Amino acid sequence: MDSNTNHTGITRRRFLKDGVLLPLAVAIAGGGVSTIFLRRADARGFYLRPPGALEERRFLAACIKCGKCAQACPYDSIRMAGAGAGVAIGTPHIIARETPCYLCPDLPCAKACPSGALDGKLEDVEKVRMGTAVIVDRENCLSLRGLRCEVCYRQCPLIDNAITILPRHNQRTGVHSIMEPVIHRDKCVGCGICENACVRDKPVIVVMKSPPEQKDYYEF
Amino acid sequence: MELNRREFLKASAAAAAFAAAGASVLNPKLSVAGDAGIKWGKAPCRFCGTGCGVLVGVKGGKIVATKGDPAAPVNRGLNCIKGYFLSKVLYGKDRLTKPLIRKGDKMVEASWDEAMTLIASKFKESIAKHGPDSVAIYGSGQWTVFEGYAALKLFKGGIGTNNIEPNARLCMASAVTGFMTTFASDEPMGCYDDLDLGDTYFLWGANMAECHPVLFSRMIDNRLKNPDVRIIDFGTRRTRTSQMADQYIRFNPQTDLALLNAIAHVIIKEKLYDESFIKKHVAFKKGKENIGYGLEDKFKFADDPKPISFDDYKKFVEKYTPEYASKLSGVPAAKIVELARLYADKKRKVNSLWTMGFNQHVRGTWVNNLVYNVHLLTGKISRPGENPMSLTGQPSACGTAREVGTFTHRLPADMVVTNPEHRAKAAEIWGIDVKRIPDKPTYNATEMFRALDRGDIKVIWSQVTNPFQSLPHLNRYRKGARKGDGRFVIVSDIYPTKSTEVADVILPSASWVEKEGFFGNAERRGQQWFKMVDAPGEAKSDLWQTMELARRLGHGNLFPYKYAEKEIFEEYRKFTSGGKDLAPYEAYVKARGLRWPVVNGKETLWRYAEGHDPYVKAGEGVKFYKNKKDDGRAVIWARPYEPAAESPDKQYPFWLCTGRVLEHWHTGTMTGRVPEIKRAYPAAVCEMHPDDAKRMGIKNLQKVKISSRRGTIILPVDLNGRGKAEKGNIFVAFFDETKLINELCIDAYCPISGEPDYKKCAVKVEKA
Repeated sequence: MDSNTNHTGITRRRFLKDGVLLPLAVAIAGGGVSTIFLRRADARGFYLRPPGALEERRFLAACIKCGKCAQACPYDSIRMAGAGAGVAIGTPHIIARETPCYLCPDLPCAKACPSGALDGKLEDVEKVRMGTAVIVDRENCLSLRGLRCEVCYRQCPLIDNAITILPRHNQRTGVHSIMEPVIHRDKCVGCGICENACVRDKPVIVVMKSPPEQKDYYEF
Repeated sequence: MELNRREFLKASAAAAAFAAAGASVLNPKLSVAGDAGIKWGKAPCRFCGTGCGVLVGVKGGKIVATKGDPAAPVNRGLNCIKGYFLSKVLYGKDRLTKPLIRKGDKMVEASWDEAMTLIASKFKESIAKHGPDSVAIYGSGQWTVFEGYAALKLFKGGIGTNNIEPNARLCMASAVTGFMTTFASDEPMGCYDDLDLGDTYFLWGANMAECHPVLFSRMIDNRLKNPDVRIIDFGTRRTRTSQMADQYIRFNPQTDLALLNAIAHVIIKEKLYDESFIKKHVAFKKGKENIGYGLEDKFKFADDPKPISFDDYKKFVEKYTPEYASKLSGVPAAKIVELARLYADKKRKVNSLWTMGFNQHVRGTWVNNLVYNVHLLTGKISRPGENPMSLTGQPSACGTAREVGTFTHRLPADMVVTNPEHRAKAAEIWGIDVKRIPDKPTYNATEMFRALDRGDIKVIWSQVTNPFQSLPHLNRYRKGARKGDGRFVIVSDIYPTKSTEVADVILPSASWVEKEGFFGNAERRGQQWFKMVDAPGEAKSDLWQTMELARRLGHGNLFPYKYAEKEIFEEYRKFTSGGKDLAPYEAYVKARGLRWPVVNGKETLWRYAEGHDPYVKAGEGVKFYKNKKDDGRAVIWARPYEPAAESPDKQYPFWLCTGRVLEHWHTGTMTGRVPEIKRAYPAAVCEMHPDDAKRMGIKNLQKVKISSRRGTIILPVDLNGRGKAEKGNIFVAFFDETKLINELCIDAYCPISGEPDYKKCAVKVEKA
């Protein structure tokens, strides 16, 4: 992966300095600028699938496009992809900025799936992995500018797990702290509530395809 | 990314130069054009009592932008998310622009002349038939100083009734009576600098992280710089504040009374008190006990303070052993001892901060007294970096409601109608016969709406507030307003609200920088702003509305002003000398606020403290000079634990607590019009403990029916939200006008302050 591209204006060094996980930074840098706009699918064709979806290629193979998951969703979060979706036409997906997944405790969408494209045996919403939230536009994030926003954090259904607050000294004012929302990829389920709630015109926090885990021996 | 230090200093210097250039520059009409043709003027934020400074950007007669004011000492350029969207709160699509008069079930557009003629005729008719106490005005801590003053002067000095109340009665009346009974002068001795200078912060019933966001980030920054800083959050609900505190001390609702007495018990037993401070500065008193809950109409209470000795007080707190308080509160006895020692630690600079958990409390005055007791025992008061500090919720609850005194019993600057000298002083400044000012208080806010329900009040005018969403036991008062039989409700507001729904006349008001204004924040800082844009349509300021009614009622002579705002301020200022001194109007035009008393152009950071407060003489150290009755001493009160008005039982097994969230302000009439905020936090939820939910088979997000003896509401449960209810408790925010949680709240109030308890009543929860 090309780790030096800088479409989002976030340099690799800046990320490391701010203590964000390296693999995540790499993933974002590759993500491309279009991801910060309201999107059906991102630059690499990422669709936010309903909870319990198989890996994308297997999902496309398994999904019979019956729409039962969408019917089961009490919030109308799940919609069927239109003509622009190419091979994914007719498959269920979620546009978080419009209506995110609210993580029903009994996951009625996955249970309704007759084909196994969604894992009906999934019981625990915390095990859902639809994607990973990422702050893609730090310069436009109000919290990172020292304002007391943190809407993404307070609305996170896994508050204090998937997103935590890292307070640090605000050098600009000298007497306030910056409350930085920090996303933890091992806990984030990718429901998109943060992306939906972000108060900026273009959400600065969006759900992206979860980056692959990269194991090493550092445990801090 | 972020401005670096150098750029920031540059920006601050520009802002400072802007400030130094004075009035003409700050008046946007005259200010120089900015980059994009935006003219900037200064104003305090419209929302909470923190009083953040903002710069308001105007272009083409509209507010196009706001930004935190880097030169404002409170916030230094920051805002919370509500302040960020200030430019949008005035531009909701359904802004009221024309007076509306009820014709049957319809509200019909009318001219100002028609509306004011009708209002004046209703006032005249009611006064002639039923006397002046049949008309009333209900305002708020969002009144500018000028608006509050004009309403007070018209009702007390013109119409001749004490039927004036602010919604601050629902919000900080207990803080007022706490200050008055302990220090004989309202408002804190400390200021926000204590957030930077202290090292120990006890929070009581205050979710600062959400309700005073900018101050919270200031306190947290203090801890980032100083690893010795400790933040202890006492609460009945785990909040975002608890999450960032060093310790969260969960206690059973209402038992803060026992906990504070137990802390005093330990301080006395272990001789951790400051004997010489007590000898010099403290008197001891005891008042009535078993004082009731104000549940009956026309409830009356008068305390009967009796002096006692330090030994008597020691005997009084003997009962409050850590073990006894532990049994009531659920806080381990050893923890109470540990925290009492922390309070008394001579090496520590200790602050207490509180908000509605203390004030909205059927023993709100007592619990305010009790926290002062601890500070007075240890002498940790009126010193830089260590003070008890009552935080406020409205932008001018202090400046207007409390300092101007828009309560039934008050006159400006700590004066009261029951005192003949005070009435004489007011009459002299107002140029009226002293007999005009009635000497008996009438109704506190709850009683005022009970009187409307009974029909004792016929005509009521609500300005800058939304009582028919914010009152407790709402069903009764909403119905009462529509009972007819001569009742006439006037509501001035900027949007349709739950209150305009019950109105007979709706008047469109100008808001915030659509008029000239003056607010006073929680640290005694008065802040002035100019009118920057015209109000939409025919909307007019509440000041104009009040003075127009005065003119039509034949009291126009009370308001002989050419430049009303400034002249009212200068007239009001005459009341404030002797400890609450305000500076001349021009000084506020130039400054980013000044903290009173302002004497010889110098503001006061710490009241009652030598070297800071100009009224404390050299050598006195600390002097509570306002309490002349007790020889300049503050009072330690023997106040017992007494139970809540309504506690959970078999039928209604849960405590219900209500409150706010960061995104929305109070009844949400302004923040609810900002689409971004509405999307971020669209609707109220019911916070519940997961164990309680599991026991009842309730899943997250499932709808539940919550009922009290007064009302029922259906809401989705939130088992893992920003606030985490303790077992046996639920919490619901009150901003959502489609889910009126206040219908469930009990209208019991503190007999001394008259402030209702929105934090405690009994409810049941069922699957909906």
